[in-house]
Amino acid sequence: MKNLSFTRISIWIYLAVFFAYLLGPLIIMSATAFNSPSFPRMTPWECLTFEWFSALFQDERILNGIWNSILVGAGTVVLSVAMGLAGALMLTQIWPKLRATYYTIIIAPILIPGVVIGISTLVFWDRINRMLGLGADSFLSNGLFLTVIGQSTFIASYCMLVLVARLQRYDVALTEAALDLGATHAQAFRKVLLPFMRPAIASAAVLAFLASFENYNTTTFTFGEYPTLTIELAQKVRYGITPAISALAFIIVVLTVFAALANEASIRRKELVAMARKKATVEELESGKLRLPGFLSSNSAAVALVVVACATVAVAGTAAVYSPQQCIAEVQEQKRLETEQRIQELRRQRELRRQEQQQQQGETAPQAQPSGNNSGFGGVFNPGNLSGDSSSGEDASPTEEPPAGNNSGFGGVFNPGNLSGGDGGGSDN
Amino acid sequence: MPVFLKEFFKRNGTGMGSLMLALVLFWTIGLIILPQLSMLDFSFRPNLPPPEIGGPKDVYTLENYKYLIYGPEGGSQDYNAVDLKVFFRTLVAAVCVTIFNLILCYPIAYYLAQTKGNHIRIFALMLIIPYWINEILRAFALRIIFGETGVLNNALVGLGIFDTPFDFIRNDIALYAGLGYAYILLMIFPIYNVIESLDRNQIEAARDMGASWVKIHQRVVIPYAKPGISSGCTMVFMLSAGALAAPQILGGPSSLWFTQLIYQQFNDNSDWPQGAAYAVVLLVTCILLVLAVMRLFKVNMGDIGK
Amino acid sequence: MSAGVGVDLENLWIRFGDFVAVRDANVHIKGGDFFSFLGPSGCGKTTILRAVSGFLDPSEGRVLIGGNDMKGIGPNKRPTALIFQNLALFPLMKVWENITFSMEIKGASARERRKRADELLDMIALPGQGDKLPSELSGGQRQRVAIARALCAEPDVLLLDEPLSALDLKLRQHMRTELREIQQRVGITFIYITHDQGEALTMSDSIAVMKAGVIDQIADGKTIYNDPSTAFAASFVGENNVFRGRIKQIMGNEALIETNRSGTLLARISTANQGRMKAGDEAMMFIRPEALALAGEGAAGSNIVSARVNHEEFEGNVFNIFMEGDGGKELKVSIPNVGQSFDDHTGQNITLQYATENAVVVPAGELAAE
Ligand SMILES: Nc1ncnc2c1ncn2[C@@H]1O[C@H](COP(=O)(O)OP(=O)(O)OP(=O)(O)O)[C@@H](O)[C@H]1O
Ligand SMILES: [Mg+2]
Repeated sequence: MKNLSFTRISIWIYLAVFFAYLLGPLIIMSATAFNSPSFPRMTPWECLTFEWFSALFQDERILNGIWNSILVGAGTVVLSVAMGLAGALMLTQIWPKLRATYYTIIIAPILIPGVVIGISTLVFWDRINRMLGLGADSFLSNGLFLTVIGQSTFIASYCMLVLVARLQRYDVALTEAALDLGATHAQAFRKVLLPFMRPAIASAAVLAFLASFENYNTTTFTFGEYPTLTIELAQKVRYGITPAISALAFIIVVLTVFAALANEASIRRKELVAMARKKATVEELESGKLRLPGFLSSNSAAVALVVVACATVAVAGTAAVYSPQQCIAEVQEQKRLETEQRIQELRRQRELRRQEQQQQQGETAPQAQPSGNNSGFGGVFNPGNLSGDSSSGEDASPTEEPPAGNNSGFGGVFNPGNLSGGDGGGSDN
Repeated sequence: MPVFLKEFFKRNGTGMGSLMLALVLFWTIGLIILPQLSMLDFSFRPNLPPPEIGGPKDVYTLENYKYLIYGPEGGSQDYNAVDLKVFFRTLVAAVCVTIFNLILCYPIAYYLAQTKGNHIRIFALMLIIPYWINEILRAFALRIIFGETGVLNNALVGLGIFDTPFDFIRNDIALYAGLGYAYILLMIFPIYNVIESLDRNQIEAARDMGASWVKIHQRVVIPYAKPGISSGCTMVFMLSAGALAAPQILGGPSSLWFTQLIYQQFNDNSDWPQGAAYAVVLLVTCILLVLAVMRLFKVNMGDIGK
Repeated sequence: MSAGVGVDLENLWIRFGDFVAVRDANVHIKGGDFFSFLGPSGCGKTTILRAVSGFLDPSEGRVLIGGNDMKGIGPNKRPTALIFQNLALFPLMKVWENITFSMEIKGASARERRKRADELLDMIALPGQGDKLPSELSGGQRQRVAIARALCAEPDVLLLDEPLSALDLKLRQHMRTELREIQQRVGITFIYITHDQGEALTMSDSIAVMKAGVIDQIADGKTIYNDPSTAFAASFVGENNVFRGRIKQIMGNEALIETNRSGTLLARISTANQGRMKAGDEAMMFIRPEALALAGEGAAGSNIVSARVNHEEFEGNVFNIFMEGDGGKELKVSIPNVGQSFDDHTGQNITLQYATENAVVVPAGELAAE
């Protein structure tokens, strides 16, 4: 007995650590979206602010990236679901001797590194383009086209796997029955096979869209003139990070949780309804008097969904009236004092060090240079891109003050007219 | 073959059959096979400006592959030590990430598959949600944590464990944590799927006979879960060896990932053939490695993706 | 009965690779008939049906429906409707949508379809059940929905592939009568497939007995039962006792057989084989269990058989006596229970007699497996 509870406890500890690893980063990242320092950090907590959301929604490149991602996602969903479905159908009827080879070919893109797919797509279509004698601005070298094509190469494999799982439960006799009753092949497909496949097609489409939306490795070679959101994010993250990205992440997290809960709630509800139908007597069914369970009854996912929705509304409401100005001003004042002190101390230290080095006359260690490029991120660090702050904490230069006119960052999102073009401050370009 | 085709059209109708066949051919040949072959071909050509492509100078050459091994012609070193080092480091690190993920995920997958109850669905949701969120943002989240003034350093310094912030990024700890983090789901799901179909009675029977937990896993569960394990490991290995976002965001300045070299060849040096050659090397090595391991553990390709 | 559309199979061969599923089938099915294909599992019945409905192309030979060659005409263009072995009701459509699927294809309005569905539902005795899903029906109800769906397409020929095999015995017997009634009401040609001889005999105007891709005999039920033309037909349809032997002498339509175990016996040569058999041929003689009767002590002649009793059983309407028979098979006698007293014969030798016209001789051949 004691032994058992010991295993129990260790299992729970293990689970706790695991999920902390899994979810902790997201929670911390989300939290940094509400802290006022212009480098995303949770500690020290300075002021609750919503300005990063406003900054995010004024970032042309992010908005443009989202639009491109949606375009690419739509194209990829259509192409990869179509190819995945055709591939899955083919798999169920291909000549047995070819099946293993065929399966290997259509599953291979999942294992080929995305970078390789990106490169091969680029190289191949470039060659086709040249063979056809088309210029550099032809359709075939268009970033949207290449990205959709490149992503679909492997996303279609995921779709195929999802679809084939359902297809295996399909009875071919159904199609034959439809044909026998006079349907054309297209009609049989549309009226019988497609409705049967609909749930799987929906999952495949969602999967394809998500995979496309978050793809980086392939897209980074193919995007051309159409940087997707992921590409823009990567640029930003590589060249300096701001809490505006945390704000975006937070929005995505909330949307995701929302979608997941909604999905879960609807599944649960379907189960409950099915159960109620099963239990119901024949008369109840026939008289149509069957009492179906309410949306919230014994459906914890639905309850959670409502809670999250309420919380979102509450936060948005707070954001609309909340002003962090006071707090920020105080913190700023305090910080200014602190930094002044620290800068002086630093100067003194550097002075000391320089003297030491001059004495040694040896190789000057590059990291001793007083420029901004002294942190671990330095390899890709581009100081010009940043306004004031750097990703390195050691270099505690004063943070840029947010423009005064901007009293409610988040509110601006909801009524843009209210906003006097307040730049969220601290965000790039 | 023609018989097969005739039957195929009879079953699917001429219109639908042609559409299906066209899509499948476009995918397999137009998107999978030809681009790979084209990349292979390209990797054997010199880097020429567009007007000269197809001209007299456009001949097959091993230059690009030689470059990886010997470095630039007339270079100071005998071997291209930098790139080769990056290459092997990438492979070794990818193997380490795979093993780390396996150790981390096997218990979870087992637990999820063999436990019944509502909380399992919540766990599954909690597992999936992070993967609906952008790969870049996941890496970004880790960078916030592992940064010099990140949560972790603040906590460690605050607790007095370190007196100065520890540079997780320069030491690649952030990178490995990030790569591991990125592919947890890909490891869990295949293993979960297989173990879920394992009859609980088998485990109970083994326990009945007095087998220890270690023994049960060693003799019953792991052999049964082998296809799932190999499927998960293959995917995690291939994807982490081919990862680009995590190394770019979480990698230290001095330690490159092989994909970053490829990226540089393409974007910074505009040397496509060179990049293609590196990509071919990466692809071929990874495939050979995976095939070798598969052969070693006696699993086959058909198990992947189940 | 209106003269429906007939179906002809001419020299029909169907091969799957090297495997011959149907060998040189020649069948003429009269319009408006209830025609059955009867044969053991795997003998090629479904294959023939699929060739008629157009899912399979014959490797050789022709399929004619109403005198027209069906070559190159797809299943959706043929005037046939098939009821599948597993029914193949569309699981996601309601019953009424299932039934009127063929109208939906032709673009009929929902109103028309509803109306027609209600008519058909009345006909199959399922009024008001149109809004259920197939999964919410019982097996017999599903069966009837499948029939209604096929009839809704107004086919000239209805093809049924063992439609009753999934039902339990009671329901199966009920559906037999119902099917026959429906067929007589709509007056179209039914082609019915079964491996159950009871179904074939009770419902059909004509039956084709099939064995491993070959059609052995085509005739009405009575003829097949009483006057089988092959050893297979004789042993597959109904119970039968076999006596192996050699023809000793032909006397008009009768023959004397030198049997392996029971001496020389006299029997009638089956109609199809009259004039084709000669003395010295290997032959088989069949006598139904109910055609044998106990003979008095000391009976003798060429219609007397005697054998040792292995065991007996009482079945209610009949007494069954099982005796040592020919070739490892038991000889079975069924004596109707009309209230007579019944002695236990186990272990004894008993003597049986039969009427010559009830014993049929056919050329020796393969017997149906039990
Ligand atoms: N597509 C096919 N490819 C190869 N062989 C086939 C195919 N379809 C049927 N066969 C073979 O043809 C023979 C006849 O099959 P068929 O389905 O016609 O049998 P059946 O008489 O309907 O049997 P049952 O009563 O069991 O339904 C079987 O031996 C079967 O294995
Ligand atoms: Mg059959």
